[in-house]
Amino acid sequence: MSAVEARVAQLEEIFLRFELKAESDADNKTGGPLVPRARHYELAQALKEAGWTSYVAVVASHWLEEKKGETVVDVEHFEVATALRSVGAGTLVAKWRVRLELNEDIDSLFPLFAGADWQEREQYDLVGVSFKGHPDLRRLMMPDEWVGHPLRKDYAIETGCAPWR
Amino acid sequence: MAVKDQLAALEAERNYEHPIYDVLARFPGLDIATTSVDALLEWGAKNSLWIFPMATSCCGIEFMAAAASRVDLDRMGTIVRGTPRQCDVMVVAGTITVKMAPRVKRLWDQMPEPKWCIAMGSCAISGDFYRDIYSVIPGIDIVVPVDVYIPGCPPNPESLMAGMMRLQERVSLKRAGKPVPKDERPETHDKTIVPKIGRFEDRIAKDPNDRTTRLQELSARTLKVQGLELPDESGE
Amino acid sequence: MAVAETPPAAPVTPAAQATPIAPVTQVAASTGPLVPSGPPRDGPIPPIRAARTPRTDCKPTKAFVPEPHLDLSTYEADADLMTLSLGPQHPSTHGVFRVVLYLDGEQIVKAVPYPGYLHRGVEKLCEKLMASNITPIIDKNDYVAPMTNEQAVNMAFESLMGVEVPVRARYLRTVLAETQRVASHLLWLGTFGMDLGGALGGGTSLFMWCFRERELILDLFENLTGCRFHYNTHTVGGNRHDVPAGWPEMLHRTLGAIDERLDQYLGMLEHPIFSARTKGVGVIDADLALELGLTGPLLRASGVDHDLRRDAPYHAYAEVDLKVFVEDAGDCWARSKVRIEEMRESIRISRILVDNLPPGPICSTKPLKMVGQHKLPPGQVYVGIETPRGELGTWLIGGGANKGSSPYRLKIRSPSLHACAVIPYVLPGCSLSDAIAILGSLDPVMGEVDR
Repeated sequence: MSAVEARVAQLEEIFLRFELKAESDADNKTGGPLVPRARHYELAQALKEAGWTSYVAVVASHWLEEKKGETVVDVEHFEVATALRSVGAGTLVAKWRVRLELNEDIDSLFPLFAGADWQEREQYDLVGVSFKGHPDLRRLMMPDEWVGHPLRKDYAIETGCAPWR
Repeated sequence: MAVKDQLAALEAERNYEHPIYDVLARFPGLDIATTSVDALLEWGAKNSLWIFPMATSCCGIEFMAAAASRVDLDRMGTIVRGTPRQCDVMVVAGTITVKMAPRVKRLWDQMPEPKWCIAMGSCAISGDFYRDIYSVIPGIDIVVPVDVYIPGCPPNPESLMAGMMRLQERVSLKRAGKPVPKDERPETHDKTIVPKIGRFEDRIAKDPNDRTTRLQELSARTLKVQGLELPDESGE
Repeated sequence: MAVAETPPAAPVTPAAQATPIAPVTQVAASTGPLVPSGPPRDGPIPPIRAARTPRTDCKPTKAFVPEPHLDLSTYEADADLMTLSLGPQHPSTHGVFRVVLYLDGEQIVKAVPYPGYLHRGVEKLCEKLMASNITPIIDKNDYVAPMTNEQAVNMAFESLMGVEVPVRARYLRTVLAETQRVASHLLWLGTFGMDLGGALGGGTSLFMWCFRERELILDLFENLTGCRFHYNTHTVGGNRHDVPAGWPEMLHRTLGAIDERLDQYLGMLEHPIFSARTKGVGVIDADLALELGLTGPLLRASGVDHDLRRDAPYHAYAEVDLKVFVEDAGDCWARSKVRIEEMRESIRISRILVDNLPPGPICSTKPLKMVGQHKLPPGQVYVGIETPRGELGTWLIGGGANKGSSPYRLKIRSPSLHACAVIPYVLPGCSLSDAIAILGSLDPVMGEVDR
């Protein structure tokens, strides 16, 4: 068994413990399984203990209300995806997503990974997702006085002229 | 005060007069030396343009390449200094954001007169494709008055050198410490093209109900970018 | 600053003398009066830490409690604190970056970084553009290594669309990435020499040397792509520009010339002043590096044997035998050593691969011209590659509300962001002059931090 296969088996085992199905990028590109909000921190902790020690990224995305005809298919919500990486031979990325309603917050991974500090601040700044337990949740990119969260979908960039399109 | 009026005031402030003219005026008969002193000062100024690099992004790397071994900007008498207090020319090389713009203004104010400004690269001229982005200043000339625009993304080191030579021509267009009025200038110097670009306020006038422009305007007002005032930094 | 009446600083305890480089945790965890720890400036140069074997099984060995947010109200030293704002316009911050330093004399007690002075909203802009338009914009992110930027974002698009890259393009991409790595590290070395000031015979001489070599590589790229700086040579499914006649010979000439001079740079590492300024300065140990998500040369200089080119091969890296250099000290000197050794390895790989460039097409797709020519399927992918600064990742979300060829959300995971996040952990306890050396050795690119 090669190093990568061992890692894949290990990841599947951990995800199975959390009643999830591990999905590789080659099969279906979903960005990992959906995890309940309450088990987000727990899963990160389990992965860290199993060797996924390097923090890769947190991606928050804003999804607008989706309509099919007149019926509302999906309400406005956030999705926060997290990626961790195992270090050394056979390195593998573990990814999962968490769905958040508009007024919900998500557990910060800062107690586990110090590298989450700035990434979470950036997502808070640009998308407006708040992270519970982050010691220093301030804006990172924009000035403190800035109004609005630019990467939300209702913060459009079409202004008077868009000459490059 | 509108941005245009403030810019006009900024330009008016730049009518700099060298202190040596006070001395010349005090002694009767020395007025005739003014022309020779003019020539001397002009020669000195245009051959020792010290550069203050406001290098923020990609153009900063090309600026470094221009100062480095192959192109060697130093042979024109330009020396790159890290402090605004000793410099004559500010080269704005790169994108200027709303967070950076007050600092650019402050550093420009710290430079002694006479001083010139070069906008290097598309981002400094007009914002380039970041132009409509919420955090980018569409052109540095709403913050500081610009003398020479160097187009390119980024401009080659050779273009920067051409721009410096253009600035030397501009420096020599001074009489008795004051810039020569436009109608008295030689024809070649009248062809400088100043880009005509809509600004924040123009766009806000275009569609007042646009959510983005309203947000941008709100943020810009809070930041006092339009008022060209500095936010209080002591609290940080 | 300290006034004349202040009593002298607390004497250095024997324990502190035994380990001159105080661990970061020690500074943060002390609740009592915070005595400046660290080596005395006028004493002998502290030795680097005892060598350890490189770690390959990287599991968290101890509970590491990071605490950069030191509460200054607990600071009860007799001397007042001085606040110094370094940046955003400072020659040694490598762009526009601001660090507020709280100083006790010359010792840094706390460092608070403020990024975001070059935030250009690239991620927002990409939500409106199709893949072929995104490439030249991504170029401007890490403006020291544009080639690897393009590769990262195009590989994400290829992964989501399921596009295969021809063998020839994969080889060419490897050659370009490795040559770009040499150019990037050369620029780092030149600016690092400037940061260290007069350490290397007048400050700017190393800068001049490195730019002389870097210009040769830029000529190489200009021959291939027509552009000196922002290349826009990668596209979804391959490359735009095939190798012109005589280009491999030119590459051999250029890289051969640089390879000969690398020995000079390696010899420079033994220069007494260079060693004094860098050895034992800014130590990041393996635990801290992993905690903070450091990648690339910074991680390898801390003794962690991890390189995506070898561990998760992409492009044509599986075809070559890549040597990965690991240093154990974790200080500025080790980072310099790792980068210079990487240059030699990159040159070796490029020269092998350009000789074995297979024939065939350079691109598997038609050039993207119209909106909607290629639809982005719904889905999310993450692709990370090893750039000169570490793992540059692209998280791409397709589909969504704009069901066209533009991504719904594109997030760039930049290695420089994590490199800058090290600052509050490493700077406390150092002197002000060491801060400049540490900032230079991290090699951050602000376009990538702020995006």
